[in-house]
Amino acid sequence: MYREWFRLDTAALIFPAIVRSDWCNVFRLSATLNEDIDRDVLQQAVNDLKERFPSFYVTLHRGLFWYYLEQSKEPVTVGEEYVYPLSFMGRAELQKNCMRVLYYKNRIAVEFFHAITDGRGGSIYLKNLVARYITLKYNITVPLTDKILNLDDKPSAEELEDSFFKNSAIASASRSEATAYRLKGTKEPKGYKHLITGILSSDVLLSKAHEYGASVTVFLAAVMARCIIDMQSERVSPKRQKPVKITLPVDLRRLYNSNTIRNFTLVLNIGVDPRFGEYTLQELCNSINHQLHTYATPQYMAGMIASNVFPQKNIAVRLAPLFIKNFVMNTVYKMCGERKGCINISNLGVTTMPEEMSRYVSRMEFIIGNQRSYPNNCSVISCNGKTYINMIRNIKQSELERRFFSKLVELGIAVDIESNRG
Amino acid sequence: MYCVKCGVRLNDGIKKCPLCETPVWVPEDAPEYESLYPDTYPKAYRDSSLAAVTIMTVLCLLAELVVFVVCKNLYGELRWGGYAVLGIPLFYCIVLLPMWFNEPNPVVFIPIDHIATAGYVLYVCVKTGGSWFLSFAFPVIGIACILFTTLACLIKYVQKGWLYIFGGFFILLGGYSMLIEFFEHITFGTDMFRWCLYSVGACSFFGVFLILAAMIKPLRKLLYKRFFI
Repeated sequence: MYREWFRLDTAALIFPAIVRSDWCNVFRLSATLNEDIDRDVLQQAVNDLKERFPSFYVTLHRGLFWYYLEQSKEPVTVGEEYVYPLSFMGRAELQKNCMRVLYYKNRIAVEFFHAITDGRGGSIYLKNLVARYITLKYNITVPLTDKILNLDDKPSAEELEDSFFKNSAIASASRSEATAYRLKGTKEPKGYKHLITGILSSDVLLSKAHEYGASVTVFLAAVMARCIIDMQSERVSPKRQKPVKITLPVDLRRLYNSNTIRNFTLVLNIGVDPRFGEYTLQELCNSINHQLHTYATPQYMAGMIASNVFPQKNIAVRLAPLFIKNFVMNTVYKMCGERKGCINISNLGVTTMPEEMSRYVSRMEFIIGNQRSYPNNCSVISCNGKTYINMIRNIKQSELERRFFSKLVELGIAVDIESNRG
Repeated sequence: MYCVKCGVRLNDGIKKCPLCETPVWVPEDAPEYESLYPDTYPKAYRDSSLAAVTIMTVLCLLAELVVFVVCKNLYGELRWGGYAVLGIPLFYCIVLLPMWFNEPNPVVFIPIDHIATAGYVLYVCVKTGGSWFLSFAFPVIGIACILFTTLACLIKYVQKGWLYIFGGFFILLGGYSMLIEFFEHITFGTDMFRWCLYSVGACSFFGVFLILAAMIKPLRKLLYKRFFI
């Protein structure tokens, strides 16, 4: 199914509007192989995927009323990595390509502009890229399981659909919620990002989470909330404290049985108000668990989808020129997007791959960039029995990371730490 | 190797803990630290808006030159060209100068804009042979500069109590309009209280309303509920 251009999906509409001269919403997935990467083979693999994943090989353009994505005329060129991940992707670059394929030593990384896909869609692309690379390099056949797709097939309409439109409720859920505590620090010079990766045993982490009656995501969110509560109480008087909320992306594919590889995620801001009293870690787990189960339901999420879909159905909104939409979306993003949570924890879960492929892949990583005003962000992925927690920040202070990983160690989970700074 | 403070395990050969900066004792026979990322930095990003500002700057300089040359050739002096020759830098100061910066600080740029405006107005006053600059234009621009700089300063650095800040600002804005009429009265001999009472009334009403909204929580909640985007 060849398409010359794509409308942005519902979740993607916001991303081009909020691009600034030094910030853009990007995320990255990488796979570390057992041997050094062959650039030419990787370039060939990237080229080979173009027909199968047309929605990734696109450029961003302005229409009169909306942004749109067009099939890119320039090839996605494989490049070398930089000293920090997720370097700025400006409008000029987005007009050439909306993703980058990078390599360093034995690692292949893909950095995506969020308007083209979300973490789940990105992981499918990366797995297929690595599978193609291995096929070309080692002349083996990777079986078509674990979301490895047949590159000779045409992309289905379902893969390229905007699933938000299909699953919207008839009434929208309110966006109104309390403003959360904001983490602060001394900004690093333009662009520099610190990345700290905590490597944990998935089994140990899971059994610890189960001790608290929680899933891994809930447990990590509770530990993070505990750290932020402590940091806030040291900096802010009790009366002036604000709710501590963790932004948790919810993959809607599972809820609505969708196969789209474009964006189909919404976020929930879940947390507690420290002014109501002290919370133990167990109480935090319970509270976050209950909130997540209350809201991450097909019904409630359909209401949230509706609040994003309705404006697109309104003729007056559709007819408003793009610069007005940009202004409104920027304002909404400032008021609702980033003020309602302290930090993201985006957990992609366990990434599986065919046995033939996993022999060549030693680890996978998932890194989300900073939000426009949050200084810290956190992303999690599990692969080959290890869980990789990546914490990125654009400030000098590593206070949150130190507290978070020390807390995990305190709870009896051994943590290996790596950093991009050396 | 482990960090003695955080208890986390670190990569071999690393000099200090990335979490707490505690130095790590590295045995002599420890393997060399292998960096996870290369040392190369991305190319310095050049914003497309900076290119636009550069073009606008060149156009401004060109316009200055054209006006200057045309006036010199036609009249042998600047005449009306003076307004344009100084007007272009004024426009540049107010519109283009902040665009060179990623996050222009209004606390710096508001005084710069007012100084540039005062300079331009002084030229107009001298050129037209007026004597109203010191008694009218200077205090009017000066007070506006103090008022708006204070507002910008409070918004930027206090970051709370918005309703009090804007409430106070509107009340002072009302007082400022009265001062404008006062300076007009002593400079041009016009009657007092011709128009300023309307603006004083409107600004004071709005300012007091904002302060009341800041003080009365139910009213604030009601406003938030009604006007939430």
